Amino acid sequence: MSTFQVEVQGLSKNFFDPSRGEVRAVQEVNFECRSSEIFGLLGANGAGKTTTLRMISTVLQPTAGTARVLGHDVASDPVEVRRNLGFYSASTALYPRLTARETLTLFARVNKYPAERTRSRVEEMIERFGLGDYAGARIEKLSSGMKQKVSIARTVVHDPPVLIFDEPTVGLDVLNALDLQKAIQELREDGKAILFSTHIMSEAERLCDRIAIIDKGRIRACDDLEGLRAATSQHYLEDIFVHYVTGNDTTG
Amino acid sequence: MDWTAIRLLYVSELRAALRERSVLINGILIPLLMYPLMMWVMFSGILFVTARFESFASRVEIAGLPAEHRGLLERLGEDEGRIEIAEVEAPTARAAAAYREEVENRLLGGELDAALIFESTADPPGNAEVSLLSNGSSDQSQAARGRLEGALSAERSAWLDRIAEQHGLDGAEWQVFDVRSNNLATGRQMGQFLMGMMIPLFFVLMIANGCVYPAIDSTAGERERNTWETTSTLATRRIHVVTAKYLYVATMGLVAGALNAAAMVVSFRSFLGPLLARLGGGGGSGFAFELPLTSLPILFLTAVLLGALIAAAMMILAAFARTFKEGQSMVTPVILLVIFPVVVLNDPSMEFTPALAGIPVVNVVLLLRQAIAGNVLWLQLGITVLANGAAIAACLWLASRILRVEEIATGSFEGNLFQFLRQHWRPAGGKA
Repeated sequence: MSTFQVEVQGLSKNFFDPSRGEVRAVQEVNFECRSSEIFGLLGANGAGKTTTLRMISTVLQPTAGTARVLGHDVASDPVEVRRNLGFYSASTALYPRLTARETLTLFARVNKYPAERTRSRVEEMIERFGLGDYAGARIEKLSSGMKQKVSIARTVVHDPPVLIFDEPTVGLDVLNALDLQKAIQELREDGKAILFSTHIMSEAERLCDRIAIIDKGRIRACDDLEGLRAATSQHYLEDIFVHYVTGNDTTG
Repeated sequence: MDWTAIRLLYVSELRAALRERSVLINGILIPLLMYPLMMWVMFSGILFVTARFESFASRVEIAGLPAEHRGLLERLGEDEGRIEIAEVEAPTARAAAAYREEVENRLLGGELDAALIFESTADPPGNAEVSLLSNGSSDQSQAARGRLEGALSAERSAWLDRIAEQHGLDGAEWQVFDVRSNNLATGRQMGQFLMGMMIPLFFVLMIANGCVYPAIDSTAGERERNTWETTSTLATRRIHVVTAKYLYVATMGLVAGALNAAAMVVSFRSFLGPLLARLGGGGGSGFAFELPLTSLPILFLTAVLLGALIAAAMMILAAFARTFKEGQSMVTPVILLVIFPVVVLNDPSMEFTPALAGIPVVNVVLLLRQAIAGNVLWLQLGITVLANGAAIAACLWLASRILRVEEIATGSFEGNLFQFLRQHWRPAGGKA
């Protein structure tokens, strides 16, 4: 049994675009993520972060390569992958006409959380994310901050060992973004393996144990912050990022 | 199949839908209330118009009434004062044209509602040419004409009987033959005939209408709300998600159809029956709107078959829509497609043959019409179930093929079903 919760090997994705022809969105990406680790994918918009994470979450099928979540292959065993995974992104909205409690119950049950423990687990999530006063309200009636809390709760309600956060702070105000970062750190302390994508340097610097810099579908570097600093002789992550993406040394 | 996941998703779809105003209005309120309301309005309107007609007095002028026909005045007088009669002498031959012109002007000007002009011709005494003048563009004038025609016809018959009697003949002899029409159908049969004409048409329309919003809501609506990807990450196979959505759409269609049929039967009994009885419809038997008990299982079966078929067809088309608006334009043709044969083939004399039982939608309509009339044709019933089952299976097979295509599942495909078919099922050499 591998020590890694997530293993990605040679993962590639090609699209056919009528105007651009064959587009190689992700090319031979390799990385791993273990328990109690936040693994960051740092890249500009269109670099291939979301496509990579969508392949791991089984929303998209890889063109080549493999990705495994707790040993389950995303192509051959997608249901088991999804059962062991919580996926959060700006494009995974909540069902507006369900209440927070109904949403959490649905996700727990469909994601195979034991039926007899679902009620207590849902109440635990409501308590943990401070949803008590709003648990019976329809999602469409909630503020964006409350929706975000329900979204995190629905991502973790079935207690998956692996979590994916794809640019989770996009569109959030500073306080809500900080709340979210705090929640992600707590989930790491719970032993979760977390894949986290962002284009915000400070976020990656604050949260990630290891960072992969991705550009034009390829991983240019992958290490912890100290390792990246040592390899590039740059201190700030922004400079490290520019170093790998443009090949230029910004400090002159 | 993961029936637990399907049940959870199905219940969740239904719960969410029943909190949506558009679903409630289109799927429940319209099928349930449209016919009672429509018929109540019709009933009230007809009663109002009838009462209005009955309330006013017709202004009538009678010129040159022969002495032999004084009885006409009595007949008109029996109409409870609803006719104001002005009797004038017959104009001389020289003044006849001028008088007629003057009467016509008064009729067109609204001073008079109708006029009777008698011009005596030859023997026997009382024989005359009678002109009944009225203004067809005026309700009051038409009502006056109707009242005069009734009295005039009765007076004519009575006068002819008197003449016949003077010649030693009785009524039957001089009339040579007498026509007595007799409607052998019972009131119940008459009611079933009328329901058989109307219920299938509206039944199909309501099932289609009940499916429209859920079909779009569960496909394009999900994309528009950004919940499609959320659903894609659930730990169940995509086919289970699609099955739950499909069952939800079919259920809404079935509910709309069943509610509509029940509402129509109630409306017929409560409003149309009394109205037709008041208007003298249905011959001597009147109308009795009662569904035979044996038709209820068939009604349920047809609702299931139609709901399942229309839901499948609509979901195939709506799967390509990325917005609600796109969904509406893609799904609308299905409504036209199912309504067209029902309208064209709504001929009560059409026989439900085994061949027609092989045509989806048409067979369901004919089966339903037979069931309302209290007949069950077992061979046709079997063929209908098989034909619709095959059509539903074909639609679901196509839907599963379509949803396997990643661009469609993720909503990035830009096009509709026909563009998809061209791209994915080209002959050898094309992209498969």
